[in-house]
Amino acid sequence: MEKFKKRLTILNAVIEALIKGPETVKYPFGDLALPEGYRGKIEFDPDKCSGCGLCVRDCPADALQLNKKSREEYTLLYYPARCAYCGQCEDSCHHGAISHSNNLVGATTHKDDWVLVFKESKASQE
Amino acid sequence: MDKISIPIGPQHPLLKEPLSMMVDIAGEKVLGGSLRLGYVHRGIERLAQQRTYVQNVHLIERICGICSHVHTTAYCYAVEALLGIEIPPRAQYIRALMCELERIHSHLLWLGILAKHIGLETIFMHTWHDREMALDIMEEISGGRVSHAANQIGGVRFDLDEEHIDMIRGILKKLHSQVDGLVDIIETEPAAMARTKGVAPISPDMIKAYGVVGPVARASGVDIDLRRDAPLPPYDQLEVKVVTHPGGDAWARTFVRAEETRVSLNLCEKILEDLPEGDVSLRTPRRVPEGEVIIRAEAPRGELFYYLRSDGSDKPARLKVRTPTLATLSLLPVQLAEINVADIPVVLAGVDLCIACADR
Repeated sequence: MEKFKKRLTILNAVIEALIKGPETVKYPFGDLALPEGYRGKIEFDPDKCSGCGLCVRDCPADALQLNKKSREEYTLLYYPARCAYCGQCEDSCHHGAISHSNNLVGATTHKDDWVLVFKESKASQE
Repeated sequence: MDKISIPIGPQHPLLKEPLSMMVDIAGEKVLGGSLRLGYVHRGIERLAQQRTYVQNVHLIERICGICSHVHTTAYCYAVEALLGIEIPPRAQYIRALMCELERIHSHLLWLGILAKHIGLETIFMHTWHDREMALDIMEEISGGRVSHAANQIGGVRFDLDEEHIDMIRGILKKLHSQVDGLVDIIETEPAAMARTKGVAPISPDMIKAYGVVGPVARASGVDIDLRRDAPLPPYDQLEVKVVTHPGGDAWARTFVRAEETRVSLNLCEKILEDLPEGDVSLRTPRRVPEGEVIIRAEAPRGELFYYLRSDGSDKPARLKVRTPTLATLSLLPVQLAEINVADIPVVLAGVDLCIACADR
């Protein structure tokens, strides 16, 4: 009897799984519900950046690079292929210029050439 | 009968991580075996000396893909001990919550692997599905499914609001009933029992001689658990039920881990109930005063040991990690002796090895 009951439980689980359908999402055709706090693609707000370099100092993956000639003249570069998406830059930035979004990160076949200019200060543009 | 030596690994379908074994067999009997390690050595301890304490949190997290949080927890407690600070109680509780969730997902992952090796593919599918629930909670609250980046020196990096707590409670309740069903199957299913009962028993004396820790030791009746014996906060305020079994065989190891999953589920609920109010992190200086410290934490596989020495700069002078798998590995050749060839997967899966942890 016990054994029979157990078989019924397993049968129940099978029927449930059949009704529920697959657990996986057919990405990119299906909707991937990522949580709000997901550490995905990094967003940058150049207006808030002061060029202090705290994010560069704390980045464990060397994904950020600050080329600084003077206080006013600097460029902040970001290498997405090196990034570990740990969120340390977001923590280190006192001005809230860097934040993680819950969007997925893109892909590349040339990871060394994938460089984004986060900020080019006005002085260095001139 | 002639002795034949067969190599298993470093790349082998049986192994999830690279480990090389030379197994001596005579007919169907295994005579013994020898190990070769170091295939996933990444030089993390040396690398840690070249990076700042802040950067190291993320480096340490990458020692292991399963128990990543407990590594950073031990490391952060070590740095905080050198700094002479105590983190806010709320942060301690959130760290413990993550540790317990990690134990749940680690044990469920292992249960699935064992089930797969003994031919119960359905159980494998179900445990891995249920494990996703624990991972979902961690992803939701910390932002990362495997690399949670929950710890920082001085506390944790996120806070839990009411919405989070309700969500966690809901999932835990569901997980509880799922785990109960799984445990019931694994403990009573005749096929599972036949494959694991009496396989590769380890005596308590052997456990002590080889310094084996964690669930493997507890499954041989050795009553050790750092969460109770030398608790890091907040375990000193939580009552941890230590699960032991005198069996010592592969079945006892299954039983202990399955029961521990239930204990961890209860602990998670208790942590949420007792969660204190307040801040979750403190501001800490970047330079750490001179000194050395030893921290021990109970990882899902047993005692995790961290030694940290500071020379007063912003980088560690020495970091030494000892993982529980190291002791289990030393016992593996002994366990392999006198078993059947068909039981090799049960022995290997039964002790729950983490090679990435051991090699670092």
